[in-house]
Amino acid sequence: MSKPFLQIRGIRKEYGPVTAVHDVNLDVAQGEFLTFLGPSGSGKSTTLYILAGFEAPTRGDILLNGETLLSTPSHKRNIGMVFQRYTLFPHLTVGENIAFPLKVRRLPKAEIDAKVRDMLKLVRLEGFEDRKPAQMSGGQQQRVALARALAYDPPVLLMDEPLSALDKKLREEIQHEIRRIHQQTEVTILYVTHDQEEALRLSDRIAVFSKGVIDQIGTGPELYANPATRFVAEFIGDSDFLPCDLVTAANGKAEIALAGTTVIPNVPVHGKPVAGGKAALMLRPERLRLMRSAPGGATAVPVTISDITFLGNNIHVATETARGDALAVRLPFGHEAISSLSRGDSVWLGFDPASAHVFC
Amino acid sequence: MLSRTDARAPGSKAPAYRLRLTDFDLTLPALGLLVLFFVVPVAILLARSVSEPVPGLGNYAELLGSSTYLRIFANTFIVSGLVTLVSLLIGFPVAWALAIMPSRLASVVFAILLLSMWTNLLARTYAWMVLLQRTGVINKMLIALGLIDKPLPLVNNLTGVTIGMTYIMLPFIILPLYGVIRKIDPAILQAAALCGANRWQALVRVLLPLAMPGMAAGALMVFVMSLGYFVTPALLGGTANMMLAELIAQFVQSLVNWGMGGAAALVLLVVTLALYAVQLRFFGTDRMGGR
Amino acid sequence: MLLNFDRLGWWKLVLIGITLLTAAFLLLPILFIAALSFGSSQWLIFPPPGWTLKWYQELLADPRWLESAWTSFQIAIIVTVLSVLLGLVTSFGLTRGRFMFREALKALFLTPMILPVVVLAVALYAFFLQIGLNGTLTGFVISHLVLALPFSILSITNALEGFDKSIEDAAVLCGASPFEAKIRVTLPAISHGIFSAAIFSFLTSWDEVVVAIFMASPTLQTLPVKVWATLRQDLTPVVAAASTLLILLTVLLMVLVALVRKGLKS
Repeated sequence: MSKPFLQIRGIRKEYGPVTAVHDVNLDVAQGEFLTFLGPSGSGKSTTLYILAGFEAPTRGDILLNGETLLSTPSHKRNIGMVFQRYTLFPHLTVGENIAFPLKVRRLPKAEIDAKVRDMLKLVRLEGFEDRKPAQMSGGQQQRVALARALAYDPPVLLMDEPLSALDKKLREEIQHEIRRIHQQTEVTILYVTHDQEEALRLSDRIAVFSKGVIDQIGTGPELYANPATRFVAEFIGDSDFLPCDLVTAANGKAEIALAGTTVIPNVPVHGKPVAGGKAALMLRPERLRLMRSAPGGATAVPVTISDITFLGNNIHVATETARGDALAVRLPFGHEAISSLSRGDSVWLGFDPASAHVFC
Repeated sequence: MLSRTDARAPGSKAPAYRLRLTDFDLTLPALGLLVLFFVVPVAILLARSVSEPVPGLGNYAELLGSSTYLRIFANTFIVSGLVTLVSLLIGFPVAWALAIMPSRLASVVFAILLLSMWTNLLARTYAWMVLLQRTGVINKMLIALGLIDKPLPLVNNLTGVTIGMTYIMLPFIILPLYGVIRKIDPAILQAAALCGANRWQALVRVLLPLAMPGMAAGALMVFVMSLGYFVTPALLGGTANMMLAELIAQFVQSLVNWGMGGAAALVLLVVTLALYAVQLRFFGTDRMGGR
Repeated sequence: MLLNFDRLGWWKLVLIGITLLTAAFLLLPILFIAALSFGSSQWLIFPPPGWTLKWYQELLADPRWLESAWTSFQIAIIVTVLSVLLGLVTSFGLTRGRFMFREALKALFLTPMILPVVVLAVALYAFFLQIGLNGTLTGFVISHLVLALPFSILSITNALEGFDKSIEDAAVLCGASPFEAKIRVTLPAISHGIFSAAIFSFLTSWDEVVVAIFMASPTLQTLPVKVWATLRQDLTPVVAAASTLLILLTVLLMVLVALVRKGLKS
């Protein structure tokens, strides 16, 4: 990373007895696309609102280019923002909406007109400048909102679940637009969403929020391959969890016992491992191998198939261990399971211990 | 100030753009107006009911112990009850029809409702004074139709008051009821039909219960408004058939008896507030009235 | 099927019948007065034996009618302006505020609307007698303002509650100061509520009779007081003429409202 462009330093937000954000620290590089991912109430939106200046933090500081932002009121922060709900000014046309931030900055008219044209071109809505917001679709409105937020060349653009009101197909279409616009403008974007797919598709890095804390920051592949907490493992990608016993742990690797007997060495371990304690083994459904008979040498768990669901490009097989723990497996379309397996069959699920994780 | 702003740790600087005024402060001018020119005068008036001419509850004893005054209370309740009942009986079918009829026709009826509501109260009352008088159009029509031989006394009595008040109150029941019926999903009545309910059963067991909150709220509003109505009873009722609001005015204006005036005002206030409390208790803070 | 107009069968005819009768009941007295105001009969005989404009001439020749109308108009305009301004400020406080007793305060602001006017009239009369505001323009304005303010607060609060605060926030992030954002974005967006507040406030003051009867002095009376005083004496057709002009004003106001609503929509 180059020198920190935007620094979030120990930001904490308390509402009476409730702490919404716990001492969040974060550095953002210039031009980066960083996503705050987390369920509702995890503090991601509150952090964004503190950046926008709509909420004052209880503690902590935010630095932009080394200078604090907190003493600057919202309207002088020069930050762009696209909201979750449609926030176009209903009484103004599209063109007037985009011109609004330029007019309040008292720019000359010719400059405003030129900028409005540029922005409409950027979001591919040329010819719409005289429409009223009510005459446009939700997707179009959010694109205008994006144009309005970028019209004054803000150093940072905040986006608060801007696509959550749109349907899936439109959402994907606008995700592409946002990516393109990010590449074109090189603006630093902080994006809030609860949709992991959206986060993975758009971001350079993702900060996973849980209960007011950032659990982990990293690129999508990093979070998927090396989740730091069980929460991150559950939130990024699909995951199976099996209860297990920790035998020994050293140097980030653990030896575990499954169902009391099967001992598996060399599994990456997270949290605070205590020898002899309880833990959870995390497996990715798409990385499990389904085998009809006990494998020689390979690590595997015996299970019974409880359901098989065809899902288009893949097949979802629900299984159960002898102790009653559920394990889901995802197989590519064309796998023998579709024809030769049925409910009640006993099979083995094999996995590579190095790609599994243990959370304590 | 009583208001709470965002909790901010000591030492952290409040952003400069925040006005010193809190949201609560914004309500202070109106609050001041209301306290000075509403709460205080009403309180003084009520206080006078127990202090004039001599301290004590003498005014209330007189008010509630005299058959003259009790008759006025009875008149007030009977007329208000009748007006409410008639308004409901007419208002429900009209609101129902308005909710489902073609919008073009409905908008004509709405325009008439609005015209009637917005026309000066005195002009409307005047119309009924003329219409209901002995030589008025209604008596003439009834005679012409052979229904009666000599003119009915329709004005300067409670009949006139009831007709005139119903005329004024009808829109106040139709509009809220329309809103309630409008919000009922027609699919619910389709479901009722599929469940085997015939029309009467669907009306009595589904539509009416669903419209009940609106009917109750509207009825209560009309009843309470009627209790304290002054102008129409005074003009259509005549001196022999006084209602409570007139009594209060008379105590103050002609008799200059502030003690009795205050006592009568308190009775009216207590009844009104009690009825609103009932409404709030059973039907929540549904919007109250509007014009 | 009870809520499907086309499938009501003969019930439909009954409902329509009741509705049209009710509409006639509401409309005919108003038309009747308008017709009588042009009738030549001093005794308001209907149908009139002949047609005349003399009641209008009599009305316009009497300076007291015009004076009272002018007084009413002045009071109503001042009340409208104050009521809308005060309503705006108060509604912002009530809608945006997160203070204790907010709901109770809101209820208090609406009470003058639901309490019997006669109580307020008598109470204010006594109060104004003591502080010397009886029979003054100020007295009229204050008492009508107390009555009009609830309607103003109700209309504007409704509009503000329906307005997404994020839109104002967006304007602030765009660089408008909080005050500028309210003026340039929020007020235009809630203009329908402000307009209703103005109309209701105007009508409340313009039509107000009860308080005015107590507040009036021989030298200062509003139009409703003049009508009231005249009616207490006799049923002169001059009142029919005055009423017809008032009805005309109502129609004009309704047309204005319809036009403004249309304008606000597009």
